[in-house]
Amino acid sequence: MSIIPIESIRVKPRPDPANAPTVDMRERLFELEAAGELIVQRVPEPYIEVTTKYGRIKKIPEQMTWHHKSCGQCGHIPGYSTAIFWLNRKLGMDYNDPTDQTSCTAWNYYASATSNAAAQAGVAMRNFAAAHEVGYFPIIHCGTSYGHYKEVREEIVSHPDLRAQVRDIMGKLGKQLVMPEEIVHYSEWVHAMRDRFAALQVYDFSNITASVHPACHYYKLVQEDAIYDPDIYGGERTATVTALVQALGAKVGDYSTFFDCCGFGFRHILVERDFTRSFATQRKIEVMKAEANPDVTLTHDTGCVTTLDKSQFAAKAHNRNVGIPVMSDAQFAALAMGAHPYKVCQLHWHTTDYTALLEKMGIDWEQAWIEFENEVARIERGEIEFLSWEDAGV
Amino acid sequence: MSERIVVIGGGPAGLEAAAMAGRLGSDVLIVEKNAVVGGMPIIENYAALTHGFQSAEEMVGRLTASATDLENVEVRVDSEVTAVTGSGGDFRVTIKSKGGDDTVPAGAIVLATGFQHFDPGRETQQYGYYEFPDVIVLQDAEVMLKEKRFVTPSTGLPPERVAFIQCVGSRDRQIGNEYCSKVCCGISSKQAIEIRQQVPDARVFIFYIDMRMYGYWENEIYWPAQEQHKVNYVKGIVTEILSKNGRLLIRGEDTTMGRPMEVAMDVVVLANGMEPSQGTRQMADLLGLPSNKYGFVETVHDVLDTVTTSVPGVFVCGAVTGPVDLDDTISTAGAAGAKAVAYLRAGARISV
Amino acid sequence: MSRATAPTTFADGGGGATLSPDHYAEVPYEEKLRLWDEVKADPRFPDYMYGCYECGICVAACPSARFYDFSPRKIAQAAGREDVELIFEQMNDDVWNCSQCFSCNRCPRQNSPGGLITILREVAVKNGLASSKAALEGYTRIVYKIMTTGTQVSPDMLQADAFPDWGPGVTEVSDKLDLWRRALPPETLHTTSMSWVVEQKTLNELYLIWHLTGVMDMIAEVDEGLHMIILDVMEESLEEAGYQI
Repeated sequence: MSIIPIESIRVKPRPDPANAPTVDMRERLFELEAAGELIVQRVPEPYIEVTTKYGRIKKIPEQMTWHHKSCGQCGHIPGYSTAIFWLNRKLGMDYNDPTDQTSCTAWNYYASATSNAAAQAGVAMRNFAAAHEVGYFPIIHCGTSYGHYKEVREEIVSHPDLRAQVRDIMGKLGKQLVMPEEIVHYSEWVHAMRDRFAALQVYDFSNITASVHPACHYYKLVQEDAIYDPDIYGGERTATVTALVQALGAKVGDYSTFFDCCGFGFRHILVERDFTRSFATQRKIEVMKAEANPDVTLTHDTGCVTTLDKSQFAAKAHNRNVGIPVMSDAQFAALAMGAHPYKVCQLHWHTTDYTALLEKMGIDWEQAWIEFENEVARIERGEIEFLSWEDAGV
Repeated sequence: MSERIVVIGGGPAGLEAAAMAGRLGSDVLIVEKNAVVGGMPIIENYAALTHGFQSAEEMVGRLTASATDLENVEVRVDSEVTAVTGSGGDFRVTIKSKGGDDTVPAGAIVLATGFQHFDPGRETQQYGYYEFPDVIVLQDAEVMLKEKRFVTPSTGLPPERVAFIQCVGSRDRQIGNEYCSKVCCGISSKQAIEIRQQVPDARVFIFYIDMRMYGYWENEIYWPAQEQHKVNYVKGIVTEILSKNGRLLIRGEDTTMGRPMEVAMDVVVLANGMEPSQGTRQMADLLGLPSNKYGFVETVHDVLDTVTTSVPGVFVCGAVTGPVDLDDTISTAGAAGAKAVAYLRAGARISV
Repeated sequence: MSRATAPTTFADGGGGATLSPDHYAEVPYEEKLRLWDEVKADPRFPDYMYGCYECGICVAACPSARFYDFSPRKIAQAAGREDVELIFEQMNDDVWNCSQCFSCNRCPRQNSPGGLITILREVAVKNGLASSKAALEGYTRIVYKIMTTGTQVSPDMLQADAFPDWGPGVTEVSDKLDLWRRALPPETLHTTSMSWVVEQKTLNELYLIWHLTGVMDMIAEVDEGLHMIILDVMEESLEEAGYQI
């Protein structure tokens, strides 16, 4: 097993934002706002400052967040979003879980190309305007939505024709052209809040080893906006997720295909799954297993969780060296803080066996499953219509 | 009007400029930031020079003597220029030394503050210089080659496989250094030969985009590296370096074969390029010299005059104007020293 | 005009020169050129394509290059050389292999082969190229879902016949779907036909965006039946809300 050295081998000079090779999009946004071209929605206070790749400071709002949910997550791994909301409630944060929200539609765009730049920008700006109207700040659950929205921001800023076209469309919808000051991914909020989570931790994770799969669209699209920390991987890989693992006292298991994608492929996961399965297992899971043998692998995107988790079933049937439970950083943090593995983390939607992990964490999953089944029975008997947040303990 | 020429920077360029001006009869003061003169080859412990393979220390020693043996050349080490007032023919240069500040008159100034090695932490590929001890840069390799002890840093043992990765921090729009650093192909090939000589059992690979082995570097270095020293040149660059089973795993494309490749290595040398030094940037600001977008100083004409600047009485040489090898550094330094003297002789009135 | 039939023939329509055999000789050069001009006219094109010195970084980082005969470097090269014949071939045979992970964005020349492919695919769809129709076969349900519900996948799509390789858990989920969805604390997740509850007003706004940006025309080009079904859903909803398309 190889464990990532937290301290770097050589001391990397802190990046100087003055030497950043890219334009600071936020400055451009404020210029456009001053010219009356659009509204910039400010990050609400209080916020936490984190550093991004080139040393710039990014503001992460603590609360007043508008949760831009993710299709795959809410549809197929609902514990992902439920855990994010649970963490907010546990810390007493004010948040908004909107119904005036569509998906970014980028999954489909990257899969089938049945859309175009103007439509994609229109969808993004409609959602941003909806958040602004209710006074909450967008926080984006999906890695692809996050990456895609950053691209849309660049396109809106750099192409006046597109900007005018989208502003016109927003006008027809009775909306204004609004861009958030920062485009924030939920895992950046998790990263920013990690010490507060650790303070509320009820299970000791020191015997847990987690491998990390960073989501491509989190840090490969508009890379300068991802969080980097000179103290983690020497500042040479994104610190998001990994820093949380360390904050919770678990070990990070490194492996040699860290930068590879999960194999999702957008269209492949749906219509060419042989590619997805092969890549996810042969390039990611089996490599992790052989090199780090982790108890769990953590990621921060819907597609990655689905791909890495579901692809293991067929590989296991062929006696491949697989079998690593997969979940999001938020689910992992929630478990550490005592969240219910089924009522909150909804692990029964996951495919790869996670019971050994829960046992190692000290969580009585059998008792928890009985508790969950009891709740389901209450629903079935018509005693309650839905499971409530009170039932979930927050 | 002062007859003195102040040379800022005591590396190869500054030493040659001072020697030239001194031999032509001018009083020269070299201001060197470090405790010793000699510049990068001495500070960074270069082994052999790329052209000719002579010892860098010996060659720079000869160059130093050619300047400091002259009675009219004075050297101040541990000193920095902090202010320049006045104008061509009548500058007043404030020098901060260990003993305190001192302001001296100068008729002309030669700027020879050179370059710095690119910091691979800013590379946009995933090379892990700050993660893995066995990923090193050209100047790290020079230190080991100079000691005649080229080893895998993490084990102290001679490596079995060594890879060079070219164009680290050069020819890269994402980093903002779009230029070619000129010397890295030559230095890597030179180091590859030295490694093969010092560790004959090691296999050495050079991963490149284009080998820029201009002039005699082709027949004196590139061909011998391939033909006599069996250095493996692979067209294709590396995107990631990771650790696997205690060794480095490099991942790239062999573009000749058109397929992705993954190879285990003991040591990876990043052929990091050249950037203007902090001193060059600071002095360019201080003297009001125009710089290009990369921070290198521009002269009055990029072809016809490579040493005269638009500020009368200020001349530049070596890597102040861009990436350059040592041969060309010496050429521009001599020209800068001579033009500074000519400027003073003409009563600081000639224009260019 | 001449047409490339051998590797070194130059089929030059005034644009670039091709160095590859022409597998689509039946398609006139002018048509291929028209499509290429459409690709170049996309405002994102100059940000995605500068030039290529064949360093191979994109291929090394590319997941699809490991499993298919696919090279983002060749895509960038063809675009850089404006090899119209080769680009047409890629638009038909290669671009659908891309995983759109954008690992290739590491390109030191700052090309985005993945972004270029997004545009190439978009032009292929917009012009109803056979490759796009084939690529979208089996995908129409997803397009329908995203365009009409604003969410790409829904819980009720988790059916064993759709995901036989995901194991028996899929069957269990589909059997208990309604109950398990109700056993979710967030109110917005109490639905089985979309990823979360999306308001009708919100959907109407989305439908207007599809109409106003020409996406409906793209759908009509690749799948007329799908276009009609989607249009039906949208028209009814928009009319009820008092919109006229």
